[in-house]
Amino acid sequence: MTPATSVPNILLPAWRWFSARLWWMEHAFERARASGKVEDDARIRIFFVMALFSAGFVTLGLGATKAALFSGHDFNSEFATVEPGARADLVDRNGQILAMDLVHYGVYLDPRDVSDPKGTEAALMSVLPGIVPARLEKTLAGDRREYVVGGLTPEMRAKVHDLALPGVDFEEESARAYPLANTGAHIIGFSGKDGHGLAGAEKALDAELRANAGKGPVALSLDLRVQGALQDELNAAGAKFGALGGVGIVVNVRTGEILGMSSYPDFDPNDAGTADPAKMINHVAATDYEPGSVFKVFTLAMGIDAGVANVNTMLDARTPLALGGQTIHDYDKDNSMLPLWEVFTHSSNIGSARLGLMCGAERMDRYFRSFGLFNAAPSELIESSRPIVNSKLTDNVVASMSFGHAISLTPLSIATGMSAILNGGVYRPLTIRKLEAGQAPAAGRRVIQASTSRTMLNLMRLNVTNGTGGKANVAGYRVGGKTGSAEKAIGGHYERNKLVSSFAAVFPTDGPLDADRYFVLIMLDQPNATPDTFGFATGGWTAAPAAGRVIERIAPLLGVKRVVLPQDTGPKPPVDPKTLTGEEG
Amino acid sequence: MILSGVSSVFTQRVRGFRVIDLLALFVLLALALGVYAFKTLAGRESADIADVQSQIVMEQKRVRLLRAEIAHLEDPSRIERLSSQYLGFKPVDPKKEASVDALPQVASQVDKPAAPAAPPAEVKP
Repeated sequence: MTPATSVPNILLPAWRWFSARLWWMEHAFERARASGKVEDDARIRIFFVMALFSAGFVTLGLGATKAALFSGHDFNSEFATVEPGARADLVDRNGQILAMDLVHYGVYLDPRDVSDPKGTEAALMSVLPGIVPARLEKTLAGDRREYVVGGLTPEMRAKVHDLALPGVDFEEESARAYPLANTGAHIIGFSGKDGHGLAGAEKALDAELRANAGKGPVALSLDLRVQGALQDELNAAGAKFGALGGVGIVVNVRTGEILGMSSYPDFDPNDAGTADPAKMINHVAATDYEPGSVFKVFTLAMGIDAGVANVNTMLDARTPLALGGQTIHDYDKDNSMLPLWEVFTHSSNIGSARLGLMCGAERMDRYFRSFGLFNAAPSELIESSRPIVNSKLTDNVVASMSFGHAISLTPLSIATGMSAILNGGVYRPLTIRKLEAGQAPAAGRRVIQASTSRTMLNLMRLNVTNGTGGKANVAGYRVGGKTGSAEKAIGGHYERNKLVSSFAAVFPTDGPLDADRYFVLIMLDQPNATPDTFGFATGGWTAAPAAGRVIERIAPLLGVKRVVLPQDTGPKPPVDPKTLTGEEG
Repeated sequence: MILSGVSSVFTQRVRGFRVIDLLALFVLLALALGVYAFKTLAGRESADIADVQSQIVMEQKRVRLLRAEIAHLEDPSRIERLSSQYLGFKPVDPKKEASVDALPQVASQVDKPAAPAAPPAEVKP
């Protein structure tokens, strides 16, 4: 293959021309000698060499000019450098900072360069009050460069720098800061010094936070204003009733976004290394509780949706229900036949158990599984733990589960399942990620009919206006809810005086099913009665008022329109069962 | 005439050096000095730019620090604690809020006698 055939066809004419000129040049000496003009041969060669050199210099000149004028140095590139272990800022849904990397400086001292140790010591002590004198003296007496003190802000660094002390220099040290301290600590979580998330959103969104370092913040669904109110009221209730622990969560049931999540007691993630491990547990996601009567929401939704009962179906609550080794009682001993809506508003264990048995184990398994009650709540939070469920749904278990016993699950699971019942019937995992404006929520799957969802909203509203949830009512915000007071199982038997008291609330209960609607769950672990609760420590006396106060504070922030209704200001209205059902429309 | 002048540049000699060579030497020296001068000036500019650059980086770090401080100062729980401690503030009662549209309704309620207090709610688990 000749060189000519190895070049593309389009270059062939140029290649031929160049070869011919080269060939002509190479034979110039022979031609000159043949024609007797030897001097022409030398001139041609000199010209040729000059041309080559000229071309070389022109090329170099152009290159130098280009390098000088368009050096390509990007002065902004310095900003784009990302240090190893760097993480993006974490912000709430309104852009408020929740966690951020902050650069601090560490001071190093090399005693070999220090000419006046006493003067250096005095100067450093004057501008760095936090310095440990013994450490400084030891470093000054040593013979190698050592770390003296860290955590200097740029201002503090400038003060030390201005002293112009020989032997003193600085190194940057990056640290994750949580400016809100205890506020939102459990949902925000914390990361380690190596820049890896260890808990909460810091762990859940670890990869995203590290990938976004130096680019932009990562937004959570959390609303700091809602979080502040929720945490404040939960902590106040926990302290007032001397509870061992507590849980609060606020969810937009339409989108599945978690707007607030709080666990009592809390901790400061800035001191995660030294905090009490018990306080660092996110009870919302990581602790299984027997839910008690709030679970009746699931039982009634199942019974109504399956067509086994409607709000007027009469259930026999006249006598305790004896089943296997247990007898199910009601707290109030009305000994009467109750319509289903009264089973709900009276929180009748017997009525709920009878409804559960009417539905049967197979149906309960199918519905409760679809509500996500038999699995860990699907969540970005790795803390989400599995429920404790009996492997066999015997009649005893079915009856007990109908009023929230014989099952332990996380408040996050309860919130996820109840959101499906209250949002028109679509189950979707709750999320800690912010949905951007116009972004559709996750598709989810339908678990109950829309009409059942409407009935449940009405029943929950009725329970607040005429039932056990009256202390959660907030005039104007159409609050619905269900109380729960589960006796704690300790040492194999239930303790009557040790309760997990809860209130599951929803507002507003009216309006289209696909409108924004908010679910609030407050749970208190072993609250104690106080004089103003007349000896009661049940959900209606402890958790319900806290839920009401949370709603009172967050409803205006969430844009829920206040409409004062007669039942908010006057006596209890008579109940018309016909208004409890209804198709969406 | 012009052509002969131009060709004389190539042939005429001053103290044994061709004029063209002297001209080329002069241009070369001028270029070298010019490049040196401009490089020096550019070096100063680069140093200034680097200085400003480092100031910007420092300021950005300070801005981040200040943003963290703002976030801390705006912490809802902190503001609530301070407002209740020093000003006696508490969350607004929703009954004291009203939209302009609701004013007639509020006015009509003011004219009515107060509703009797609701009996205590029956509280059960």
